[in-house]
Amino acid sequence: MSDNEVTLTIDGKSVTVPKGTKVVDAAREVDVDIPVFCYHEKIGALGCCRMCLVEVEKMPKLMTACTMDVMPDMVVKTTTDKVEKAQKGVLEFTLLNHPLDCPVCDKGGECPLQDNTFKYGPPDTRMEFHRANNAKATPLSPVITIDRERCIACQRCTAYSERIEQDQGLVMLNRGFYNEVGTFNNEPYNNRFSGNVIDICPVGALTNTDFRFKARTWDLTNTETLCAHCGCNCNITMGTRLNELMRIEARPNDAVDDGWICDKGRWGHQFVHSKNKIITARENSVGGGKPTSFPVFPHDCTIQDAAGKVAEAFKKIAEEHGPESVGFIGSPYTTNEENYLYQKLFRQSLGSNNIDHKSYQDTPGLPVDHYGVEQIETANVVLLIASDPTEELPVLDLRIKKAVTNCGTRLVSLNDQTIALDKYSSQSVQYRVGSEALAIDALANGLARELGEPAPAKDAGQTGISAEDMNTLVETVRSSMKICVVYNPSALSGDAVSRVKRLLKLIAKVPTMECGAIPAAPMTNAVGAMDMGLLPDFYPGGVPVTNQDEIKKQWGENAPTTKGLSALEMIARAEAGELKALLVHRSNPVIDFPGGSRVADALRKLDLLVVHDMLETETTELAHLVLPSNGPGYDEGTTTNIGGRVQARKKALETAQAPDWKIINLMLNALGDETDYQKVLDVTDEIAQKVPGYQEISRKSLGKAGCDRAPVTSVDETVAEQSAGSGKNGNLRLRVATSLFSHDKILDASSRLAHHFLPSTAHLNEKDAKKLGIRDGDTVLLSAQDVTLEATASVNNRCQSGGVVVPRASDWQGVNGLTGADGGPTWVEVRKV
Amino acid sequence: MTQILFKNINMKDLHTMKVYEEQGGYQALKKAFAQKPEEIVEAVKASGLRGRGGAGFPTGLKWSFLAKDVFPRYLCCNADESEPGTCKDRELMLKNPHSLIEGMILCSYACRVEIGYIYMRGEFHDLIFNMGKAIEDAYAKGYLGKNIQGTGFNLDIYTHLGAGAYICGEESALLNSLEGERGEPRMKPPFPAVEGLYAKPTVINNVETLCVIPYIVNEGAEKYASMGTEKSKGTKLVSVSGHVKKPGNYEVVLGTPIREIIYDLAGGIRDDNNLKAFIPGGSSVPMLPADQVDVLYDYESLAAAGTMLGSGAMIVIDDTVNIVESTLRLISFYMHESCGKCTPCREGTRWLYQIVEKIMQNKGQLDYIEKMEDICDNMNMKAFCPLADACVSPVVSSIKYFRSDYEAYFKNTPVGSV
Ligand SMILES: Cc1cc2nc3c(=O)[nH]c(=O)nc-3n(C[C@H](O)[C@H](O)[C@H](O)COP(=O)(O)O)c2cc1C
Ligand code: SF4
Ligand code: SF4
Ligand code: SF4
Ligand code: FES
Repeated sequence: MSDNEVTLTIDGKSVTVPKGTKVVDAAREVDVDIPVFCYHEKIGALGCCRMCLVEVEKMPKLMTACTMDVMPDMVVKTTTDKVEKAQKGVLEFTLLNHPLDCPVCDKGGECPLQDNTFKYGPPDTRMEFHRANNAKATPLSPVITIDRERCIACQRCTAYSERIEQDQGLVMLNRGFYNEVGTFNNEPYNNRFSGNVIDICPVGALTNTDFRFKARTWDLTNTETLCAHCGCNCNITMGTRLNELMRIEARPNDAVDDGWICDKGRWGHQFVHSKNKIITARENSVGGGKPTSFPVFPHDCTIQDAAGKVAEAFKKIAEEHGPESVGFIGSPYTTNEENYLYQKLFRQSLGSNNIDHKSYQDTPGLPVDHYGVEQIETANVVLLIASDPTEELPVLDLRIKKAVTNCGTRLVSLNDQTIALDKYSSQSVQYRVGSEALAIDALANGLARELGEPAPAKDAGQTGISAEDMNTLVETVRSSMKICVVYNPSALSGDAVSRVKRLLKLIAKVPTMECGAIPAAPMTNAVGAMDMGLLPDFYPGGVPVTNQDEIKKQWGENAPTTKGLSALEMIARAEAGELKALLVHRSNPVIDFPGGSRVADALRKLDLLVVHDMLETETTELAHLVLPSNGPGYDEGTTTNIGGRVQARKKALETAQAPDWKIINLMLNALGDETDYQKVLDVTDEIAQKVPGYQEISRKSLGKAGCDRAPVTSVDETVAEQSAGSGKNGNLRLRVATSLFSHDKILDASSRLAHHFLPSTAHLNEKDAKKLGIRDGDTVLLSAQDVTLEATASVNNRCQSGGVVVPRASDWQGVNGLTGADGGPTWVEVRKV
Repeated sequence: MTQILFKNINMKDLHTMKVYEEQGGYQALKKAFAQKPEEIVEAVKASGLRGRGGAGFPTGLKWSFLAKDVFPRYLCCNADESEPGTCKDRELMLKNPHSLIEGMILCSYACRVEIGYIYMRGEFHDLIFNMGKAIEDAYAKGYLGKNIQGTGFNLDIYTHLGAGAYICGEESALLNSLEGERGEPRMKPPFPAVEGLYAKPTVINNVETLCVIPYIVNEGAEKYASMGTEKSKGTKLVSVSGHVKKPGNYEVVLGTPIREIIYDLAGGIRDDNNLKAFIPGGSSVPMLPADQVDVLYDYESLAAAGTMLGSGAMIVIDDTVNIVESTLRLISFYMHESCGKCTPCREGTRWLYQIVEKIMQNKGQLDYIEKMEDICDNMNMKAFCPLADACVSPVVSSIKYFRSDYEAYFKNTPVGSV
């Protein structure tokens, strides 16, 4: 037993636990149940409800097991007469004014108050007065309704609001018998993590407005699955009834979500029953597009026919025009299995490396450890680069706040915009929009000089960061001992991401440094998509296309070993008429890719555009052939989160439609590959065999909580010299920011979260605004490429002078269209209307 | 009679700097500054002074518990004086504010504190100006501020007005309130001496406690300790209220018989009625019946009699009173003041109120008394803070000593009827 452990006795059982453990948690270790209401291990002790009273030898009065730290040789008793009387007493008080409307209560069947009463409560009540009446249904927000009559004032929810989401949105109002849960000035409780209070409320007081009275809990079929909205991959339970999705709850996994989910995860699920869902294969009579000579789904064609036709058509074009004439744009949102199979199809069966899934640069693997998100709690320093977790990866925001407030972690950031987490950082260094490569190099050079590594004497270019600030940042990084670098590759223009990797290598050279990184792209399976080789230059597992030996061994003699086209290059080649056929899986380049209307025009020029998607989009409209994709809720497979954790997504809803992996399997079969996967796990097993890093992944190792994949090979990249950047053709540089509640195909107009939708806004620096004669609230026009976008100006110094930040508010806003097709920094012309 | 705090309490203009200094005010500072801070703490320990706010915790010991080498540290003077019946701190601050300031300077020097707060109950909105003026004068004289009397010791004192909640007299709720948080008690541990105001080591003392310090420094711990009983040293202000001829604050040496306080100092029972009961230490402590009037007024004797010295407020009840009515009034106070944080207190106080109210409407049932006792048992020592226990005190003690007052209500009530 180490100094950090304590041994005590609970109900005669000896237990050894770490110092600082609460008695109530120690009891759990030896299967002693101490009932609680207010205590929640992630929120910490409150001492409100008094349900957990126990007897402790040598202490004159009963103690609350939830507030008391274990002490050596403590003797705890939980079943004495004194304790039992106290438990009955507390429950009698708790139930005194409780309405006991269990028959209509959402919590019924999974209610701690019911359970504790059943187990520990008095048989009867001695309450002879009318129970207090209170409001039965008060909306706290469009998605949460409080039944104040049922509230037992345990304060879990308000403590959650204070300690976890940390903005005190929900507070106790009034005092004594009249205290109640509410908000300051009756404002809506609109925090992006608000829904967790529904899960933790020990009674049916905080209810999910969407789920209220819809189903009894015991009639639900609960599926343990994953959220598919962002790269956190939070664990959730989907409750369904009669094949309809009823509600989503958090399913705690410390290594991933720490027990919480965000409101997008909880309520952003309307799309599963959307009218826009694609449920059959179909042929479009293409409006304005180039008519295709390719065959075409017969009326009422089966999915087998459709898959076969698509595969044959691609084969034919590849044979006629060469494999470079076909391409695949996949998705960072789909499962590893689907991605793996698609790249296999294009590489093995069609001989093409024209494979990609994104419009920014990135490469698989890291030159340092790939940290899981829980490492943030033990890091001394977390360095954010171009990352805004609050909007991009909400549950990561909670983890960082926890680390900073409870674990002594220091947060520093290198960013081009102010972010919500700045409040928690000891230093927020801001570079000018578009100068990320310079800023990252400046940090790396500073470090290199400290370490005596080669570095230019002077940093190039203008980042707007003072030498002093940069020195402080260098020093913080250098002296951090254990650092976790969190960077968002999708917010880095040009080749800045390779500069991040060079920086990581340098940090790792600091003596005794523990250095790890989290590639924090917002998309659900961004890490997995790269690991699965949805890249023009890498096979699965980070194997470069140039590694001929390895590739021939794994993928056969015909596997292509020259670099293919990136997604942006494919669009450019389509525009030039050189790319003939494109298959797009679960991606909407028309809206999401840079280049404005050029993208749609390019796609129209294709001989064959096949789109395999779950919802109708601007891109499916242009497709010659459309294949149905099942998507989250219906699909199965694994995804890899930002921390490199592979977990199983399960299907909660049944559909008659074949799963995506099956459709791809049919295409493979049509082109001569004989593998016949019976179930998705057969694909997972093949990934384990063929993808370096995934060897340990199996049905068994995935279990309930998932499994970290081993590091994926990372290649040494040469970083190009800084280029001067493309010529100036506008007055400000554009930064498109992610916003969590963007009004798009997933969160459509019928979404429960529509109240979070933001108007189109352009955030300007005061200096620029003054120069341009723009005032806060003015309507402005932003133009670049051939796109013009209207927005309301917000003059707030979110970025340095010379830049403009536009959060992606909706699909129709079209802000991605403003960005340059080369993926580099973008100039826009901003003017007042 | 030995008078320390009230020696010249009614002297004209004692509240002014001039008169206070003429009376030897602020002389203790010189003496103190000549000593090491630890020596003052030792002296206060040796004096046997116990906290006068209610709990009676040894003051010197409390000071010595401050987390070592953690700064800044704070001193909070508890001037919430919210315990029903208590009005001694008010008189001290009104008539002799400088003695509190001097006490706070001494405490701060001893505890290496550089910021002190005086947390005053909301109803002291006039008194706060009085106190503020005295603080201003102390700054002008160089007793407060930077480098006090050339010693290098700094101290700033601020006053703060509460918003009218009894619970904010409880030390940790006081800290919450001072920080602008909801007025609810905090979990202990950590104790304020380790993590108090703004999570820094904090001393919290009652006004009266702090006002005693100049005397101890001037006259020596031994002299203070020579007064009173073996474990209850010194003098105590007693606020006598209720059915006496001369209600008011009196300073008595601890160990004085209660009879002397009620009959000599306070002039006896009004209209020469008979004494029925008295609550010796503020409304939160159990009442005693008249036949216990010879109990000595000190911590141990009162504890032996099953009650407490508390804040030193003697509430005297004569035989015209129906104890059930007084009990209802007391419960109603605690019901109103319960902060609502914990279940037994929030629900229990209200339930007790409902029951006693019903009894008084002659609608009670015979088993109500038993039920009340059981509810009290379920509340007692099971709540988050002592407020729930405080509500239990009058209920249990009134039933214990005046059961017949309750039973009178049931005379015409057949068993089992409502
Ligand atoms: C419900 C409650 C109310 C209290 N009210 C007061 C008060 O008004 N004034 C006071 O000095 N102490 C009050 N106390 C006691 C304080 O918590 C604390 O013990 C005291 O201020 C410490 O100072 P002392 O050691 O000088 O007595 C109260 C305690 C409780 C539990
Ligand atoms: S609403 Fe629920 S979680 Fe919040 S205080 Fe009431 S019972 Fe507790
Ligand atoms: S943080 Fe991301 S994965 Fe987690 S619930 Fe929210 S959207 Fe889903
Ligand atoms: S006993 Fe509980 S409800 Fe009552 S005042 Fe103390 S903390 Fe508040
Ligand atoms: S669970 Fe311990 S007091 Fe509520």
